[in-house]
Amino acid sequence: MISRIKFTATKGVKLGKRIHLLSGIALTGLFYAFFTLAIARSASAAEPKTTLAISIRTLSSPYQVMYKVGAEAFAKKVDLPLDVLTTEANSQKGLTDIKAEVARTGGNVAFFIDPNDASDALPIAKALEAAGVYFVTWWSKPSEVKAWDYPHWVAHISFDGLAAGTYTATELLRTFKTPGQGKIIALQGRLGDTPNAERWEGLHQVLAKNPEVKLLQWESAQWDRTQAYNDTKAMLVAHPDIDGVWTANDDMAMGAIQALKDAGLAGKVLVTGCDGIPEMFDAIKGGLAAATILNDGKYQAQLGLAMALAAKEGKLDVKSLPHKNRQFEIPAVNVNRDNVNQVVHDYLDTTPTYDLSNFFAQWSTAIP
Amino acid sequence: MPNDVPSKSRINEVGWLSKSAAKAGLWIRRSGIGGQLLSLVIVTGSFAIGTSGRYLSAANLQVILRLASIPAIIATGLHQVVVLGGIDLSVEGVVALCVVFVGFLARNRFNTNDVGLWIVPITVGFGGLAGIINGLLNTKLRIPSFIITLGMSWVLWGFAVFVSKGQTIPLLKNPLSGIVNGNLLGIPDLALIAFGLIIVIQIIQDRTRFGRYLYAIGGDEVLAAQAGVKVEKIKIAVFGIAGLFYGLSALFLAIQLESAQAITGNNLLFPAVTAVAVGGVALTGGIGGAKNAALGALIVTALNDGLILLNVNPYAQEAVNGFVLVTAVALTIDRRKLGFIK
Repeated sequence: MISRIKFTATKGVKLGKRIHLLSGIALTGLFYAFFTLAIARSASAAEPKTTLAISIRTLSSPYQVMYKVGAEAFAKKVDLPLDVLTTEANSQKGLTDIKAEVARTGGNVAFFIDPNDASDALPIAKALEAAGVYFVTWWSKPSEVKAWDYPHWVAHISFDGLAAGTYTATELLRTFKTPGQGKIIALQGRLGDTPNAERWEGLHQVLAKNPEVKLLQWESAQWDRTQAYNDTKAMLVAHPDIDGVWTANDDMAMGAIQALKDAGLAGKVLVTGCDGIPEMFDAIKGGLAAATILNDGKYQAQLGLAMALAAKEGKLDVKSLPHKNRQFEIPAVNVNRDNVNQVVHDYLDTTPTYDLSNFFAQWSTAIP
Repeated sequence: MPNDVPSKSRINEVGWLSKSAAKAGLWIRRSGIGGQLLSLVIVTGSFAIGTSGRYLSAANLQVILRLASIPAIIATGLHQVVVLGGIDLSVEGVVALCVVFVGFLARNRFNTNDVGLWIVPITVGFGGLAGIINGLLNTKLRIPSFIITLGMSWVLWGFAVFVSKGQTIPLLKNPLSGIVNGNLLGIPDLALIAFGLIIVIQIIQDRTRFGRYLYAIGGDEVLAAQAGVKVEKIKIAVFGIAGLFYGLSALFLAIQLESAQAITGNNLLFPAVTAVAVGGVALTGGIGGAKNAALGALIVTALNDGLILLNVNPYAQEAVNGFVLVTAVALTIDRRKLGFIK
């Protein structure tokens, strides 16, 4: 018995060594592959053309894919090369990729950045400021960090979440049997996310103006469709007689619609969302949902890149811009049962040609 | 007074009742689910009082059973890996990729594919394949299950996103929709399916050699190997079975929501691990069976549903879930097996 154990033990060690050797060879191979690839890329980048680059979260959401489509259309229009970097929800990867892109292009690059996390905006700003690269950020940054403290941080722009929440809530109230009078339940996204808080505030502003509408209960479904389905099912047991469901994004709206279908209430009790995913447009057309907003990612990417490029080419004097033009919000596209077909045609089926001559044409509020 | 003397048949009846009660009591004690049943009774009782009976309404019990079904199926797959002394964190990745397969192969709005009922063996089989790969990497390359399954989860998730291009694939009416969303005599079909699977696994664990080997490995792997148990084969099989269950859950999830997207897999791991731990499956291995995992899923779902019905502040709900997980692990863990606490 003892000898058998010994034998297996030595066999294990041998196997271990062999694996070490194999992984060593594999790693060396990989290293060479990357090295040659890097040389090949930097050689091709020797051209003097400015590179456009976007750093986004992932290509796993239709919304983020719109960034890419918009950026590609803009790159084609101005005839410049485009690089798409994704953080894949990893802040460190985001920052490293941005630095690598700057190094690769020798700083001859203009950036559009959707930081993975609000706190990422600061290290990104410091890195790009040090490299003298112009950039525009979207959505999230710490509120105490100001774009105007960094000469190369052209602007920080966001969509008006308050307006989105107000609009969808108002539309929801219109669908009640007695408009402006009834009971609703609501689903929030991840508590603490800025867009969630803004949209939620929008709903409450509308509720304050309509005292005959009661918010019976809300849950946080983490932006997630399955969770929204589960939560709505449970809430419908407690409140089977509601007149509407307000949700903070379309994925949760779709989950709520499915739960309403199970209860035989779909179409009688309408739902609202935010973001403008294709299924939501179908739901609005099918009479299951009342309204949503479309954050036009294509315009977003084009505006960001256009501003950063203009600054780089000296066509936009960043220093002379007032603070209200360095940090501001723009409204999303409102979508309800009356205009849904038009919006789908104009913004999704085709890529609109945007007028980028005035960067502040859509300006709605300043971000303090 | 003849009326004061209980009739013979009545004595027999009482005797039979007390006997079967004693039998049931013994079974519960032996199978180690007494604590779980007690907590289920406490949870149910307190919510029933808190909601003045609404919690026990037929509508709500239906909701609880339906919502517990999928976590129970996942937990039934996952817990066997835990019984072996490992952990399987690949749930979300496997489900993500299987869901995307369902999206492309079942009737959908993106393409004209329709494999009909073949979708069941395809999805379940793919889940099983992913599980077997987990098992092979774990046993042949001798990489800890924690790392290999976490890595696999990311690989499969990435592949799912890549294949689907991150889009949501809306599904059309599926032949299985009636089963997934339907009820039989007021009981959700999904719950019946889950119940059937749990029974099958429980019988395998109680009555077969495979089951005995499973617990032998979970108890002490070295001893089991010396006793001639083919440890590697059992491990690979267990990972494979877990994968089958994830695949099946993926199919149900997609059909339930009439849509397939990679992120359908998100947020499945935490409830499943909680269910396994709450059910009394020791994370140190060797203890607990399918009934534990299923009960755990039921308790966790019943708890979440009750918190919503009581309109408990959602900020507090998350905290309750975390608290329940830590408490459950603290109560079930076998400290003799832990040399160090890391």
